[in-house]
Amino acid sequence: MATTGTARKARPLSPHLDIYRFTLTMAMSIVHRITGVGLYIGVLLLAWFLLALSGDATTYAQFSGFLRSFIGQIALFGFTWSLFHHMLGGVRHALWDAGIGLDHPLRERLAQATLIGGFSLSMVAWIIGYSVR
Amino acid sequence: MPQSYRTALGRVRFLGSARLGAEDNWRMRLTSLALIPLSLAFVVIVLTLLHKDYNAARAEMGEPLPAVLVLLFVLAGVYHTELGMRSVIVDYVHGHAREWALIANACVAVSLGLACVYAVLRIGFV
Repeated sequence: MATTGTARKARPLSPHLDIYRFTLTMAMSIVHRITGVGLYIGVLLLAWFLLALSGDATTYAQFSGFLRSFIGQIALFGFTWSLFHHMLGGVRHALWDAGIGLDHPLRERLAQATLIGGFSLSMVAWIIGYSVR
Repeated sequence: MPQSYRTALGRVRFLGSARLGAEDNWRMRLTSLALIPLSLAFVVIVLTLLHKDYNAARAEMGEPLPAVLVLLFVLAGVYHTELGMRSVIVDYVHGHAREWALIANACVAVSLGLACVYAVLRIGFV
């Protein structure tokens, strides 16, 4: 916890965010965190789904009704996309942890692959969801 | 499980973290690895349930394989999200608010995790 009261020697501060040039890896870093927080909220949706299914036909109908609504569809697509994007971002971080792909241009390719792959896998899941019965 | 990533020289020179982060770091990576197949399994299970009515969906979820896969997904997922939200809180929330936020995070994770586990078991056994 923050120490207060006693005089402390000023510690050096790192430069603030706005001095950096925008890069894709930077954007993917914050999107990884945003999708992570999104998935945290998504656990609520998961709990609702499982509790509704464990209940009776009425509770399940309420849940399916929400999912079929406009907001429900956006929430479900957000959940799908966050799941795939965060998963691919995690793979990218695992590669970096192993010392692979840290250099230019591979790190840029990995960032692009995360972005494109996350949307592509979401689209595949939704196309299957809408077409296969 | 690695207890620390610090080197002996780093310790002598008081470099690096003073706290015990290696265990959380390890568990974050362990759960993230587990969540790759478990998330894909969860997506497949949801896709098979999507167009089924209540009775059919409940019967299918109650089968041993989907039930166990969803339970594993919930447990690994809730552990992973608790760790992730904890690092977000530690980065952005300061002072006493941080302690309350960490308490809330633990309560939310445990409650949602338990609710999901209860629901899956109820689907399987009731």
